[in-house]
Amino acid sequence: MHLVDNFYAYLWPGVTMQEMQMYGNNSNSYLVASVLPQDKHVLVDPGMITNEARQNCLDRLISEITADGFKIEDIGLIINTHAHPDHYGASEAIRKMSGASVAIGKGDDEFLKLAEGEAAQVLKQMGFEFPELNPDFYLTEGELRLGENCVAEIIQTPGHSEGHISIYWPDSKVFMGGDLIFYGSTGRVDIPGGSAKALKASIERVAQLDIEYILTGHQYGSPGIIAGKEAIERNFEMIRKYIYPYL
Amino acid sequence: MPDKDDKIKSALDIALERAQRLGAPSEDEKRRLKEEELAAAGEALVKRYLSGLPLRDIDAELARHAEDERETVKRHLLSNLLDRIDVRRGAADEKVLTAIEHLTGDAGTVQAIGKLMKEYNGALEKAQLEKQGALREAKLNELKLKGISGSAVEPAVESSAEWLETQRSLESQYRERLDELKRKCRNQ
Repeated sequence: MHLVDNFYAYLWPGVTMQEMQMYGNNSNSYLVASVLPQDKHVLVDPGMITNEARQNCLDRLISEITADGFKIEDIGLIINTHAHPDHYGASEAIRKMSGASVAIGKGDDEFLKLAEGEAAQVLKQMGFEFPELNPDFYLTEGELRLGENCVAEIIQTPGHSEGHISIYWPDSKVFMGGDLIFYGSTGRVDIPGGSAKALKASIERVAQLDIEYILTGHQYGSPGIIAGKEAIERNFEMIRKYIYPYL
Repeated sequence: MPDKDDKIKSALDIALERAQRLGAPSEDEKRRLKEEELAAAGEALVKRYLSGLPLRDIDAELARHAEDERETVKRHLLSNLLDRIDVRRGAADEKVLTAIEHLTGDAGTVQAIGKLMKEYNGALEKAQLEKQGALREAKLNELKLKGISGSAVEPAVESSAEWLETQRSLESQYRERLDELKRKCRNQ
């Protein structure tokens, strides 16, 4: 689904009650078209290959990307906002199809290592499985230059996970926040590496940005995209008033 | 009215009856079970030592075992301590080395283990300095060709195939020498 400029959104169903009953978990994915040499694209949070409800998430993503006139083989870079499998799960599979480079926040690499040890037991009990992820590079706070003309800002936004990153595209005023904020709520902080204090601080940092579109990681009963400065400001207020006290 | 002998059997009675039906363990089975028991005792002693049990108390704990079992516990104790020294774990724990020296009385070999581990760490650091810088540059250039650059980009050198190969080669080179020293300790 075309969003604005060269931004495309692939939202995993889950807004209505019916959708929520019908679909298992998976993250939203976003594509920034033709920003890399040879018209290659950037894909943010590819989601899972299949989810706990045995739904073919990757097949669905590929078919939606194809419907927008793109090819999965033309993905040149996969950015994962954090190391939770519902966001990064299909990274290595897409790398095989496209030869794309794979990136993740520096802090979440530690999480992936932990996932091989004791933390994995806790997370497996919570229903997580850990597909392989071998990042080519990490993203830290700073500037990410893509091709000749595109610049994104990588913002470290810990809270939902220790190494969680968000991507701000200043030219289009688009903010991709992974599981930092949703429409009327925030990412959970009870998974190992989570921190309510860090999450609040990250949200307050992001609230200072000039944003027209917040692209969230999930549609948990509410729209995955928050558009317009007023709606975004209202959303921050709502989170401060109704969510912060319970974090 | 139920007969006097027709009593309701407890779970224990049933278990004992079944165990009897299985028959007595063979001599081999008995030896295996005993070996497992003594190995567990050795392992437990290592854990207690590493949690604060004084070295002198290890001797006291060993002395509590019957003479014919003492050597087996000591062998497992030593083996468990030696297993805790590995190139993957980095520097050898001084506490572990002290206990090995105490048990083997071979200060020379234990010192050689400590020296080898330090040498390995030095070689690893040197390789990190020499290779990782070059690998980082190469990866940055590779990404730049793909149109990816900027201050936020930090190449994942330590998970690159080239670095993993360097690390593996160093590990196998030092592990071989370490295993030789460990064998010497085990044969004391």
